[in-house]
Amino acid sequence: MKRLVLFLSILIIITFTAGAYHINESTQSVQAKEYSELQEGNLYWGSRGEKVKQVQSRLSDWGYLTGAVDGIYGADTYRAVRRFQRAHGLAEDGVVGAATAKAIGVSLGSPPAAQASTGLSREGDAYLLAKAIHGEARGEPYIGKVAVAAVVINRTRNPSFPNTIAGVIYQPLAFTAVADGQINLEPDAESIKAARDALNGWDPTYGCNYYWNPATATSKWIWSRSVVIKIGKHWFGN
Amino acid sequence: MNRRGITSAILAITLLAVGVWGAYQYQLKKDFEIALNNEYQRLLHDTKAHVSNVQVAMSKALLSDSLDQNVLLLSQIMQQATLAQDKLGQLPVSHSDISKTEKYLTQVSDYSYSLIKGHLDGNGMDNKQRQAMTKLQDYSQYLTNELSAIQDKIMSGQMTIGRVAQKERESLRDTNKDMLNTSLVKFEETMTQYPELIYDGPFSDQIINMKPKGLASKKVSKEEAKEIAENFLGNKRNLTLTMFEEGDQLDDIAKIPSHTFSVFTANDNKKPAGYISVSKQGGHIVWMNNIRSVSGISLSIKQGQDRALKFLKEKGFNSMEPNYSLRYDGIGVFNFAYKENDITIYSDLIKVKVALDNGEIVGFEAAAYLHAHHDREIPEPQISQDEARSKVRLDFNIDSIRLAIIPKGSKEVLCYEFKGKYKENDFIVYINALNGKEEQILQIIKDENGTLTF
Repeated sequence: MKRLVLFLSILIIITFTAGAYHINESTQSVQAKEYSELQEGNLYWGSRGEKVKQVQSRLSDWGYLTGAVDGIYGADTYRAVRRFQRAHGLAEDGVVGAATAKAIGVSLGSPPAAQASTGLSREGDAYLLAKAIHGEARGEPYIGKVAVAAVVINRTRNPSFPNTIAGVIYQPLAFTAVADGQINLEPDAESIKAARDALNGWDPTYGCNYYWNPATATSKWIWSRSVVIKIGKHWFGN
Repeated sequence: MNRRGITSAILAITLLAVGVWGAYQYQLKKDFEIALNNEYQRLLHDTKAHVSNVQVAMSKALLSDSLDQNVLLLSQIMQQATLAQDKLGQLPVSHSDISKTEKYLTQVSDYSYSLIKGHLDGNGMDNKQRQAMTKLQDYSQYLTNELSAIQDKIMSGQMTIGRVAQKERESLRDTNKDMLNTSLVKFEETMTQYPELIYDGPFSDQIINMKPKGLASKKVSKEEAKEIAENFLGNKRNLTLTMFEEGDQLDDIAKIPSHTFSVFTANDNKKPAGYISVSKQGGHIVWMNNIRSVSGISLSIKQGQDRALKFLKEKGFNSMEPNYSLRYDGIGVFNFAYKENDITIYSDLIKVKVALDNGEIVGFEAAAYLHAHHDREIPEPQISQDEARSKVRLDFNIDSIRLAIIPKGSKEVLCYEFKGKYKENDFIVYINALNGKEEQILQIIKDENGTLTF
């Protein structure tokens, strides 16, 4: 019995160290993947389209791909691309970037040409706001999401806060969703819609600069704020 | 080798492996801590440098007798104060401990900008402004001293900056760590005697606390508000409205104190179909939002705009002119400005959202209109259209000219509006119709979703 316990505990320790090491490895490689995916035009797990089909058809001809040539970049395509990259001495990240595309003989095409000539747009702000809404108010009713975004916008106009949307959102110690990384999740359609409404002027808080969850807020200072309206889990005030 | 020996050897090796992994993790954490700390150090040093630059430039501005020199000094104050405010907002200090300091720095910058405008009109600082500037300079001196003290402590290793989460405050055993906060809090407490600066700028108290002008005087009760909302939405539709709970200080704090309602249709009494808001004073609809999703587009933007205009007329807004539109997710958002006697009044702005599948009105936003709309005594233009045209660059290709009223700080000004193209980009230039000065230039950005002004 004692020997069994001993063996089991050794097994657990080994699994634990191997697992922890693997987690370290994979977080680093996920980060690397994120960076190359950000390059416009790259094909990666989840991509779809004619370009993906072209890549798949070539990899299939050469024997790297055993799955279907269907224009959907999934697990099979990912593994095939990695095999190809390994065989050709390219960075093995499973993403078809410029170098890999060249080696395969497929052109990735030009990035979307929809940018206005001056490169200015509000899409960046809207998307950032949507990420903040998604992190802070995912489960709230729609109006609660617009309210959270409106608070961020009101802060940019208030002298006591940073003057940009990014400055307000990323101000240290301001939003818990920013501190724990939830802001890095992909925002859902409702959050993007709410962000746009807030940017276009809809303000259900009528000018508030603060909101808090009465069930979890412990700061004496936030409780000294005056309440204007209570929406869902949040109280809004100034 | 006996079994015991082997198992102890395996255990020892795995223990070593865990120890190595732990040391690696600890080192990684330390690296991140150092990197973050370096970032905060830089911000703090820079903040102190900017504030002391503000202080020096202020003393020079108070001494200088030359308008030109003053404009340059005030520009420096503006820039350095903005930089200080920006960097202070990046330090790991909670907002409650620096809110007044931030406000001070923003208003110093804003105030300097308004003084520059006065100087360019030929007016130096009057007595009141000199007094205000002297007071501001005292505060900047005090803030510089506080920041220097913090800087000294950091250099001598007595304090590190490393707060990452709010929770750290409660579990602080090392009081040194909180020295950053306490020093800044000391300054913050002195700021309670900070004088209210009277000037016209976007961050001035008088603009922030401006009361809405467009509200009728009659006060409405909750029930009356509910009825008004139901009428606006159309009573035949069998809707249920429930009011959101309001705070006690709503009337004092909200920009337009209102009753806000969730709107439920007969099909679904759990998830609201939309929301609507009615002002307590005057019973005006402040905004409305119908959150249904739109499937498929069968109306053009022009048709959507016509629907929106028709809707506004039905609701009693007879003199609204369409200006800009945006389109996304099958919804058209249309901006309308009030028009009086052929003059477009931009401050009185209403937005209408139209669903482009069936033309239903799914959004309405009139807070800006209720803030600004009032009976205006519009003066006659003192210069002719041609005179105004001569104030604009010759190579600006003008497409249209008209009169408009634009907001300027807490006031409004009548202008000739010239829309046109300059070097491939679209611009609007506003020339003051009373004295011919160039008041504003806006650049128009068109993207696939619509038109925006910058």
